[in-house]
Amino acid sequence: MPQWAQYKGLHCHVGAPAQLTDEKLIPRQNRRSMGRLSIFAVQATQQAIKDACIPGTDIASGRLGCVIGSTMGSAESIAEAFETLVPTHDLAQLPSTKFFQCVSHTAALNVGQYLGITGTVMSTNAACASGLAAIGFGYDLIRTGQQDIMICGGAEGLHETVVGSFDVLYATSSGFNQNPRQTPRPFDAKRDGLVCGEGAGIVILEDYDRARKRGAKIYAEIIGYNTIGNGAHVSESNREAIVSCISETLAKAKIAPQEIDYINAHATATIQGDKEEAAAIRQIFGAKTPLSSLKGNIGHTLGASGAIELIASLIMMEKGLIFPTLNLKEPDPECAGINHVMQPLAKKINLLLKNCFAFGGINASLICKKPD
Amino acid sequence: MTEAEVIKLTNEVFIDSFEIEQSKLIPQANIFNDLGLDSLDIVDLVVALQKKFGVTIRDDERVRTIRTLGDLQNFILTIKKEIQK
Repeated sequence: MPQWAQYKGLHCHVGAPAQLTDEKLIPRQNRRSMGRLSIFAVQATQQAIKDACIPGTDIASGRLGCVIGSTMGSAESIAEAFETLVPTHDLAQLPSTKFFQCVSHTAALNVGQYLGITGTVMSTNAACASGLAAIGFGYDLIRTGQQDIMICGGAEGLHETVVGSFDVLYATSSGFNQNPRQTPRPFDAKRDGLVCGEGAGIVILEDYDRARKRGAKIYAEIIGYNTIGNGAHVSESNREAIVSCISETLAKAKIAPQEIDYINAHATATIQGDKEEAAAIRQIFGAKTPLSSLKGNIGHTLGASGAIELIASLIMMEKGLIFPTLNLKEPDPECAGINHVMQPLAKKINLLLKNCFAFGGINASLICKKPD
Repeated sequence: MTEAEVIKLTNEVFIDSFEIEQSKLIPQANIFNDLGLDSLDIVDLVVALQKKFGVTIRDDERVRTIRTLGDLQNFILTIKKEIQK
């Protein structure tokens, strides 16, 4: 990302940008309130609705809602707003819809408005757990009978100011600026931090019996979800809290650790975070359960990561094939004692666990079961 | 600034900011009903016109009486003449 060189003190010059395409297919009066991440969210939602064959009559029924999270509003739009306001202090120069691009619930509000959703419209802003938290919240709304169908997930836009928030904490990768494909390196001895990415991941949740009845394609059944705060540190992961989050999720799903066939790790390739996550996994699962991280493939898509990586995990479940941790060549001794998948692994996945651990000490875990 | 220049620059605002086709930009076109702008767009229209013509019209009461593209172009011409005086 050569354009990032203009920022003094920004050590990481590697990013994982997604390509924005066909945004003009969204009518201007809808698009004007969308920053980059909302466009990703709307396009992903369109794909998800088509895949799930959700009829138009359901969308404005009041029984369909959406919960979509992101770490913040569109970082690009927020930067533009400050660039307009700070030099002039003239509010009259701000476009009318800039506010809607900048607010923390921008993805949810834009998807809701674009589709005409009249059920619950909510945002989960829990940093890197936002997407998984949105899915967990949607799961709760359905299982408590408040909604029948939920559009859930996360979205994020790549911007240097977001990268900077990690960079000032020395959490980004900076040693591979000349070899960007070699980073990030989750669990690897040579890992040196995360690489930010962008995009959106959207899943459709539906009451199981209702989905069965209408013959919908069912990728998986959610059988357990849990989120907790670590109550210990705003930025450092904490193995006890990770153990607690996963253990409670297993208890809610009423399954034993050894029944999990695959763990999709959070593992962003930070020195501290990977070590704590590996220790927690080792404590609960030992060296048996296969585990991989997708951050080496797509970077850390932050608020979108839980949803995007869950979708990828569901594809692994469907194919019976575990994708390995890209760039993991030599596991760090501090991340050893767990079953790292370092080559594609054919394996039947009946139960999978997805983890997200966010700044602010927010942990989230979700268990999915392959449909019968 | 000539009338032709005002029309050209005004039309540019509608094309660039609101993605409206040139063929729809006729003087009698109603800004709301024919060109499809709404209350949020009017805010952006004012911002864009101020930038394009170097004028301050945000708090000008006459803005509220504008209905057609022709009204708008005449208003801009009037404003520019007032500034020249």
